[in-house]
Amino acid sequence: MKAKKLLAILTAVTVILSLASCVEPQTGTGGTTNDPGKTTQADPSSLKGTTIRVYTHGGNRVLGEEKKDEKGNTYRDVENTAFLKYLAEDFTKETGINVELNVVTNEDELRPLFQVKDDSVDVFTCPNWSLEEWKAFCEPYCTVDEGVELYGEYARAMPAVDGIVYSIMPGRAYNQAVVYNEEVIKAAGYDKIPATLDEFNKMCEAIKANGVTPISMHRVENWPLATVQDFAGYVAGNANVFAECLKTENPFSETAPFGKTIKIYTQWKANGFFEPEVYTDFGVAMDSVAYGRAAMMLFGSWVVPQIQGRVPDGKDPAIIKFAPAPDFGAGRFVLAAPADNWAICKFSKNKDAARLFIEYIANDAQFIADSGFIANKKGVTPIVPDLYSIIDDLVASGDCKVLLQPANDANSLANQEVLTEAGLWADYKYVGLLFDSLDVTKPDDWSAYNKQVEVQNNAYKKYKEELGLEWVD
Amino acid sequence: MNKETKTYKVLRYVFLIAACIFVIIPLIPLVFMAFKTGAEYSSTSVLTPPKYWLNLYNFAYAIKVGKLGKALMNTAIILGISISIQIMFTTMVSYVLHRFEFTGKKLIFSLFMMTMFIPIVTTQTIVFQIIYRMGLVNKMLSVILLYSGVGIVGIYVILNLLATIPKELDESALMDGASYYRIFRSIIFPLLKPGCTTLLIINGIGLYNDFYIPNLYLRKDVQTFTVALYKFFGNTATPFEIVAAAILLGIIPIGIVFLFLQKHIFYGLAGAVKS
Repeated sequence: MKAKKLLAILTAVTVILSLASCVEPQTGTGGTTNDPGKTTQADPSSLKGTTIRVYTHGGNRVLGEEKKDEKGNTYRDVENTAFLKYLAEDFTKETGINVELNVVTNEDELRPLFQVKDDSVDVFTCPNWSLEEWKAFCEPYCTVDEGVELYGEYARAMPAVDGIVYSIMPGRAYNQAVVYNEEVIKAAGYDKIPATLDEFNKMCEAIKANGVTPISMHRVENWPLATVQDFAGYVAGNANVFAECLKTENPFSETAPFGKTIKIYTQWKANGFFEPEVYTDFGVAMDSVAYGRAAMMLFGSWVVPQIQGRVPDGKDPAIIKFAPAPDFGAGRFVLAAPADNWAICKFSKNKDAARLFIEYIANDAQFIADSGFIANKKGVTPIVPDLYSIIDDLVASGDCKVLLQPANDANSLANQEVLTEAGLWADYKYVGLLFDSLDVTKPDDWSAYNKQVEVQNNAYKKYKEELGLEWVD
Repeated sequence: MNKETKTYKVLRYVFLIAACIFVIIPLIPLVFMAFKTGAEYSSTSVLTPPKYWLNLYNFAYAIKVGKLGKALMNTAIILGISISIQIMFTTMVSYVLHRFEFTGKKLIFSLFMMTMFIPIVTTQTIVFQIIYRMGLVNKMLSVILLYSGVGIVGIYVILNLLATIPKELDESALMDGASYYRIFRSIIFPLLKPGCTTLLIINGIGLYNDFYIPNLYLRKDVQTFTVALYKFFGNTATPFEIVAAAILLGIIPIGIVFLFLQKHIFYGLAGAVKS
C-alpha cells in the first residue's frame, strides 16, 4: 500500500516537472528580433567569412533533378539542374559569405530544432507552416505594405501575420493548368488543349479511344485533390471562391462553384478519363505522361520540368507542355501565385547574411526562371520560362485571364474552421468523399454521390450555425 | 489414427506453406524492382521480373549517392555499443530483482512496468530538449544513450531464465568466498547466454529498423541505415527501384546475423516462451 502511494506521488511529481519544462519562458527567446520594417541590407564586406546554413525542401535544386539515362536508369543531373548549388557558389564568390546547403524532406525535420530555438538554421524554404508557426519560427522580413511596394499585389498572398511578412516569395507561378504530352493529343487529332469543356471532353474520348488514359490524377494520394479547390475558382471566375463558401449553406450542390467543380471531376471519372490502375507512386504517374501512356495531368507548373526530365531518351522533353484549363462556363483562367518561400530563422545568429542571401535570390531572374517561376521584384527584369509560353500568349491575347491567388484572410480561415469542425477539411475530404462516392463500375448510378452531397451540405450548415461564422465584408 | 495423423500432417504443411507465401510474396516485387531500370520499373507490373538480372546500377547508385556503406557502419557501431550496454544493465537489474529482497523492490519493478504504458512519441518533446541541452543532437552518443535503457521485456526474459538457475549455486559460491559481483560475472552471466541472445535479436532487430529516434536526433554525417534510406524519398517522386536495391542491401547484415545466431535464437525464444 505504501509502495502504491509512493508510486502515485512519484508519478505526479514527474508529470508536473515534465509539464513545467514544456512551458515557454516569456523572456529571452533567443536571437535578436530585427525591426520588421528593415529592408535595408548590411554591408557584405563586414560579413566576409560568415557561414550561413540554408535548409531547403527543394532538393532537386541542390542535388540535381532526377532523370533517366539512355538505358533507362535513374540519375541526378547535377550539371544542368543543381541551380541553387551554383547560385550559392556565385554568392560566396561575390560576398565572401559561405553557404552550407542542406536538403530536408519537409517541415517535420526542422520543427524539433525550431522548438528548442536552435541556431543552426539561418535560411529555410519549407512552405507548409501554420501562421502561428511562421510567426514563432521566422524573423519578420518586412511589412505587407513594404512587400507590396517591392513585389506588387503578390505580396498580399505571402505568409503574413498582423501586417508583417515572414517569408519572401520572389517569384510567381501560373498554377493549376493542364500539363500534357503534345504527341498524345496530336495522335487524337488535337494540336492544343481545347478552349471549351465540351471540346475538352471530346478530346478525352478520342484519347481514350486510342487506348491512352486521358488524365492521370494519382488519386491514391490526397494532395492531388488540391487542384479541384483551385479549379473551383475557374468555374466561378472568382479567386475568392473558397472563402465565399461561407455565403452559402450548400457549397457542395452542383449549383455552387465547389459542387459544380467536384461534379465535373466526378463526371470525368464516370467517363473513364482517369487512370484505371493504381500508380504505386507519383513518379510512376508522371512517367505515364512522359511516356505517353497518359495524356494529361491537372497540376501546377512545378510538375512540368519533372515530367520533362522523365521523357524517354530520343524524344524532345518539349513535347510536355503547359496550357490553361478549358472554359468551364465563366471563361478561361489561370491562377497566378507568389512562389518559392524563403525565410530567415528567428533563432539565426547570422540574420544579416541570411537576408543578403535571400535578396541575392530575389534579384536573380535567371535562377528564378530556372526554378520554374517568373521574378516578381520591381526593378528585376523577369525572364519567362519556356513552360509558360502558351499561357503567356493566351493571357496577352486576352483569351485567358489571370486570377491572383487571394490572401488567407479571415473569411478563408472561417470557412476552413467550418470544414474542420464538420470533419471535411483534413486531406481534402470535402472533395475526396464526394469523388470517391461514385462507383466507377456503375457510372450511371449517382445515388451515392447525391446522398453524399446532402450529407456534406447538412454538416456544413450545422457547423456554420454552431460556430456562428458568417461571411464578413 | 494413421489417417487422422496424415490429414493433420497435410493441413500443417498447407498452413505452413501458406504462411511462407504470405511472408515471401512482398519480398518478390522488392527483388524484381531492385534489378529493374527506372524506366522499366514505371512501365511494368511490380510482379514482372526484370529484363536483365545483372543490372547492378541501382545497388551502386544506392551505395554511392545514398552513402549506405557509411550508414550501415554507423548503425553497426550504435547497435554494438547500445545493445552491449543494454544487455549488461538488463542482466544486472534482473539479477538484483530476482535474488535480493530490499525495500522499494516492488516500486522499482512497478516503475519499469510503467514505462511499458508510455508511448515513446509522447515523451520526445521533453527528451529532445534534454538531449539538445546536453549538446548531443547530431551526435551518435544521443542515440546510443536512448537505446541503452533497460526495458521491462528484457527484464522479464532474464527473470524467467534466472528462475531456472538454482539459488544454491550462488550460496555455494558465497561460501567459497566469492563476492556478489564475482558470482554474477563468473556463474550467473554465462548461464544467461540464451536470454542474452534473445535480447540481442529482439532488441537488435527493433533498433536496426528504428527510424523515429535516429531521424529525430541524427541529421548530418551520422545517419543510420533507415535515415539514409529515407533520404531517397522526394517531396513528390521517389526512385523506388533504387530504394528497393537499398533495402536489399540492408537485409544482408540482418541475414548474416540470423545465419550465425540461428541456433541460439530458436533456443532462446523457445526457452523464454517455455519459462
